[in-house]
Amino acid sequence: MRRREVVRFLGAALALPFLPSGAEAAIQLGKSLHERLGDVPFRTLNGDQRALVTNIAELIIPETDTPGATSVKVPEFIDLILTEWASDDEKATFLAGLSDIDARASTMGAARFVGLPAAKKVELMTTLDAATADKTGAAFAFHRLKALTVYGYFTSKPVEEDILKVQMFFNGYQGNVPFTRAV
Amino acid sequence: MPPMTYDAIVVGSGISGGWAAKELTEKGLRTIVLEAGRPIDPAVDYVEHVLPWEKRYRGMGNRKQRERYQPIQRHTGACDEWSSKFFVNDLDNPYSFPDDKPFYWIRGRQVGGRSIMWGRCVYRWSDLDFEANAKEGYGVDWPLRYKDLAPWWSYVEKFVGIQGRKENLPQVPDGEFQTPWPLNAAEQKSRDILLTKFGGERVITNARLAILTEDHGGRQKCHLCGHCARGCITLSYFSSINATLPAARKTGRLTLRPFSVVHSVIYDPAKRRATGVRVVDGNTKEMFDVYAKVIFLNASAMESTRILLNSSTPEFPGGLGSSSGELGHNLMDHIMDGGAVGTLPFATDRREIGNRPDAIYVPRFRNIKTKQPNFLRGYGFEGRAYRPNWERGAEMPGFGASFKKSLIGDLGPWEMDFGGFGEMLPRHENYVALDPNLVDAWGIPALRVNCTYSENEKKMQEDMVVTATEMLEALGATNIRTYKEDNPPGLVIHESGTARMGRDPKTSVLNAHNQVWDAPNVFVTDGACMPSTANQNPSITYMALTARAVDYAVKQLNRREL
Repeated sequence: MRRREVVRFLGAALALPFLPSGAEAAIQLGKSLHERLGDVPFRTLNGDQRALVTNIAELIIPETDTPGATSVKVPEFIDLILTEWASDDEKATFLAGLSDIDARASTMGAARFVGLPAAKKVELMTTLDAATADKTGAAFAFHRLKALTVYGYFTSKPVEEDILKVQMFFNGYQGNVPFTRAV
Repeated sequence: MPPMTYDAIVVGSGISGGWAAKELTEKGLRTIVLEAGRPIDPAVDYVEHVLPWEKRYRGMGNRKQRERYQPIQRHTGACDEWSSKFFVNDLDNPYSFPDDKPFYWIRGRQVGGRSIMWGRCVYRWSDLDFEANAKEGYGVDWPLRYKDLAPWWSYVEKFVGIQGRKENLPQVPDGEFQTPWPLNAAEQKSRDILLTKFGGERVITNARLAILTEDHGGRQKCHLCGHCARGCITLSYFSSINATLPAARKTGRLTLRPFSVVHSVIYDPAKRRATGVRVVDGNTKEMFDVYAKVIFLNASAMESTRILLNSSTPEFPGGLGSSSGELGHNLMDHIMDGGAVGTLPFATDRREIGNRPDAIYVPRFRNIKTKQPNFLRGYGFEGRAYRPNWERGAEMPGFGASFKKSLIGDLGPWEMDFGGFGEMLPRHENYVALDPNLVDAWGIPALRVNCTYSENEKKMQEDMVVTATEMLEALGATNIRTYKEDNPPGLVIHESGTARMGRDPKTSVLNAHNQVWDAPNVFVTDGACMPSTANQNPSITYMALTARAVDYAVKQLNRREL
C-alpha cells in the first residue's frame, strides 16, 4: 500500500562493504542482452558522466550468473529519466553531485572515479552509501543513482521475464506458502 | 435533430448510474444513459497486464504531461502511467477554490466513470451511523435506518459478488459474501495476537471487496494480477462496464450516449415536474434536449449538484432543489493518511503466491462502547502485510553481488501497514457553488469549492497514528514509521453530500426516496444524497440507494403518481 515509500529515490543506509565479484569475467553475458534491447541515444549525460553512471550502476548491480545493470541498459534508463522526467533543478542537483563524486575521487589518487582502483571505488561508495542524510552533493547523487539503478534493473524486460518471471494469472491466492531465502 | 424522448434519463454511467440503468431497463423503461466522456473498449483500454518495461517511464508516470494537464488528478496514486487516461484533463474540467482552502476533486469522465478505477471496498453501515446525526446534532437526521436499506444491500451485493469474511460485528454488519481469500501468514498471526491483546475490540479481517473469488453472472473469478485500477479483462471486479451496463444492454431497452455533457435539468413550472435535460455534445458542442418521464442524476456527488445549481428557474433562482437553502452545502469526504507501518518479527519463512488486490480491514472501534474525549464518530483501518521484495533495494544498505543476490533471493521481512479512513462531519459551511467567472470546455459554469476539515477530523487523524502504533507495538513490530499527512479534502475520493436526503423539505434537498422535493420526478442517487458519510467506503451504499430509488420510482410511475 505504501509503495511510494519503497520507490522513492532517497535511500536510508548504514553501509557494510561488499566486494563485487567477478564483474570483469561476466561482461560477456550482457552482450546478447544489448542486442535484444537495441541502442538508445544518450541525451543528457555526456561521455564522462555516462562512464561514471555506468561504472557505479554496474558496481551496485554487477554482472554475475545473471545480467548486471549495464547489460539491461540501466544507464540509458537513467538518462531518459534525467532528460524527460526530472525537473531542471533535480537534474542540475544530480549532475552536480556526479561532479562531486569525481572531486572526491580526485582526493584519492585519480582524476576521476572511473580511474580509481577497484578497492578505492568500493571504499568511496561505502562512504557515500552511509551518508543518507545529505540532500546535495556526492552522497545525494549516489543514493539517487542507486535507487534508479535498482528500479531500472528490476523493471527491465530481461529481469522481469527471465529472473522475476513476472506472472499475471494465478489460479487462486495462497498466503501461507513455505519460503526459504536464497542468498 | 428530432426530439429525443425516452421513458427515463440517467445522467452518468459510473457506479450508481450503471445501477440506475440496469434497474430501470430491467423494469421495462426505455432508458438513455448520458455519459459526458468517451466510450471505453475493454479490449483496447484495459491495460492491467502491461508490464513496467512496456511503459516508457517503467511506471514512474509521464510526470511532465501530468503536471501540465492533470495538476489535480496526479495527486491520486491510481493516476499512474497506466491509468492516467481514466482521469480527467484538468484544463478542460476546471473548478476553483479559495487559496487557503484547497480541494482535490478527482474525476473520471468516460463510460464507467470512476467505477473503472475505484478501490472496490464495500462495507455496510449500521444504525450507529444512521442515528449519529440526530443524536449528536450535526446535519439532519437520516430518513432511513438499517432495516430500510438492508434488503437493498443484499440485493446489490448478490449481483456485485463480494469476497468477505463474516465477523458478526455490529458496526459493520455482514453481507452476502463469496468465499473469502485467506489472510496471509503474517496477517493471520497479527489477527490472532490483536484479538487477544485488545479483547476482541480491534479485529483484523479481510477487506470486503467487490472482486469475485468464484465465477459469477458470466464474470470470471479474479486471476490475481493485482492491478485492478487498470481494468480487468476477466471482468472479475465490479464496474459498470463489467457488470451493470451489460445487464442493461441485454434488455434491449438501453441507449448509451457517450460525449453527452448534461448542462441542466429542464423544468416545467406548470406541471411542477422536470421534462428532460439540456445536453452539450462533447464533440460538436451543439446543444440539444432529451425528454423523459423520470430523470436520475448519477453524475457523481458534485457533478449532480452542479447540474441542479445550473438549472435555475424564476421559482428556484438558486437552482432546482434549492428551496431549502441546502443545495450545494454539507460537502463531505473522508479523512485518511493517518497511520503507521512497522516491520513484523514473525512469518519470515512464509510467502504469498498471487497478487491479492487489497488485503485487510480493521473496523471502527472508537466511540462504540466507550466515548472518546477528543472527537465524535470513528475510523477504520485499511492495510496489508507485505514483503517488499526488490523494492526495498533503494533503501537497503550495500551494493554489489551480495546486495543483488539478496534482492533476487530474499523478499525482505513482512511490513504491516495500518492506514486510517475516518468520518468527516457534515457542516453547512463546506459547500460548492457555481463560479461566476469560470466555465468548462463545454461552456458550462464550473464549481467553486469551499471545504476544509474540522478539528474533529484532525483529532481523529491524530488518534489514527496513536492506535496504529499501539497495534504495531502489540505485534512486536520494529522500525515503526508513523505518518500523518495534511492533505486537502477530496483526495480520499469519497466526496459526498451537497444535495442531502432528509425528512423535511425545509432542511433537505431530497426525500427518503432520493426524490428532489422541488421536482419529484428527479432522483439523485449518487454521493450527493448523503446526509452523513460514516467511515465506511461509500459505493455499495450508493448502489443500494439507487436500486431502492428505482424500485420506488417505477412503482410511482406505474401508479401515475410521478
